[in-house]
Amino acid sequence: MLVETTLQHSKTTSNKMNAANTESSSGLSSEVLAECLVAVAERRCRTSFSKLFSHFAPRLRSYALKQIGNEAIAMELVQDTLTNVWQKAHLFNGEKGMPSTWVFTIARNLRFDFLRKMQSRKEDICADDLWPVLVEQTASLDEELVDDTVTLEQILEKVGLLPEKQKQVILAVYVHGKSQQEVADETDTPLGTIKSRTRLALQKLKELLDEND
Amino acid sequence: MINFHPSEMQLQSFANGTLNPSLSLIVSSHCDLCRHCQQKLKEVTQVVASQSLIVSEKEESDLSVFGDMMQNIMDEPEDMNTRASEPSFLDLDGRHFPLPRSLGRFVNRTASWKKLVGKLWQAQVDIGGDVRAEFIYMEHGGSVPEHTHRGNEWTLVINGEFEDGHHHFETGDLILLDSQHTHTPVSNDPDGCLVFSIVDKPLHFTSGLARLLNPFSHLFFK
Repeated sequence: MLVETTLQHSKTTSNKMNAANTESSSGLSSEVLAECLVAVAERRCRTSFSKLFSHFAPRLRSYALKQIGNEAIAMELVQDTLTNVWQKAHLFNGEKGMPSTWVFTIARNLRFDFLRKMQSRKEDICADDLWPVLVEQTASLDEELVDDTVTLEQILEKVGLLPEKQKQVILAVYVHGKSQQEVADETDTPLGTIKSRTRLALQKLKELLDEND
Repeated sequence: MINFHPSEMQLQSFANGTLNPSLSLIVSSHCDLCRHCQQKLKEVTQVVASQSLIVSEKEESDLSVFGDMMQNIMDEPEDMNTRASEPSFLDLDGRHFPLPRSLGRFVNRTASWKKLVGKLWQAQVDIGGDVRAEFIYMEHGGSVPEHTHRGNEWTLVINGEFEDGHHHFETGDLILLDSQHTHTPVSNDPDGCLVFSIVDKPLHFTSGLARLLNPFSHLFFK
């Protein structure tokens, strides 16, 4: 099954790549772009960088506009991406991939981190964790983690501390999976009483668990 | 052998940078462990890159919109200030587990191990957001009570093997479950099993005493 998906995948990949190559034929070839990157890395060659800039700046701008939609931010993304290309050309490895793929991954990472910062309840996962394109040392955060985990053992212990009637209703509903109506019928108690007893028991349990902290 | 991989679509969104960040972390860690997906991701990224960096001839010929940008960039010095990230490990009870590169930075954000019932150990990881992330270690014979999921549960096997009543999972396997799945993970590996797991809603325990956890799942969900 694995082999089949791999084969199928390679076929679609090469089809898409052929199509993409025709569309971008107006730009510089991968070979020329790679030579320019090497020249920038080795000699800070300004002529080579201007070729890279002329090729990539319009493409990156078009990508950024589609992704972000804001002209000013799109231009910032273009500038940051190409600044990385100028400053870190030595990290490009022609054996690992094509120049356009490398430049794209830099732009994608910047875009990912930019969008992440825009969110309010964001995960603290940065592009470097996911795609180490320009691997940099990240500062370690030795924050004390608040341990607010409650274990089943702790809950069981607290259930034992509940008044007998509250304990019975909690065990019947949450352990034996009975409905509150069933508990009411079996104990010959009004449903409203069972409901309020359950609510009180849960409140009491929460208080008991909070005391742990 | 790794048998459970991200789908082609998921790899594509991951390469695009549009996949949900938590799931991205799991997919990225899977790729650290899985050569097959590493190679596939490389190919997919190349395709995504060539599809993303396209431009019309008209746009390409007009560089005036960039003003002095090129000159400004070339005024910047070269930046050699980069280095490779160090391998990182997670310790439990005298054991020393190597972690996938993507999870390396989170070792410093992992709380201390906590022993739960059923030969289970748990260490919560602060990855921010509205999710709960944790390392879970099942000792030999250790199991998680039968449960289903209110939201998504994304798990990566870091070291060892376990079963869940439906499948057998090994190191590197990626397991993506939601509310349609009910399972009872148990490890019969003599060395136990370490997994990394992210849930975006509390679990819902479906049988026995563990049901007692349900009204409090928001507490131990955070």
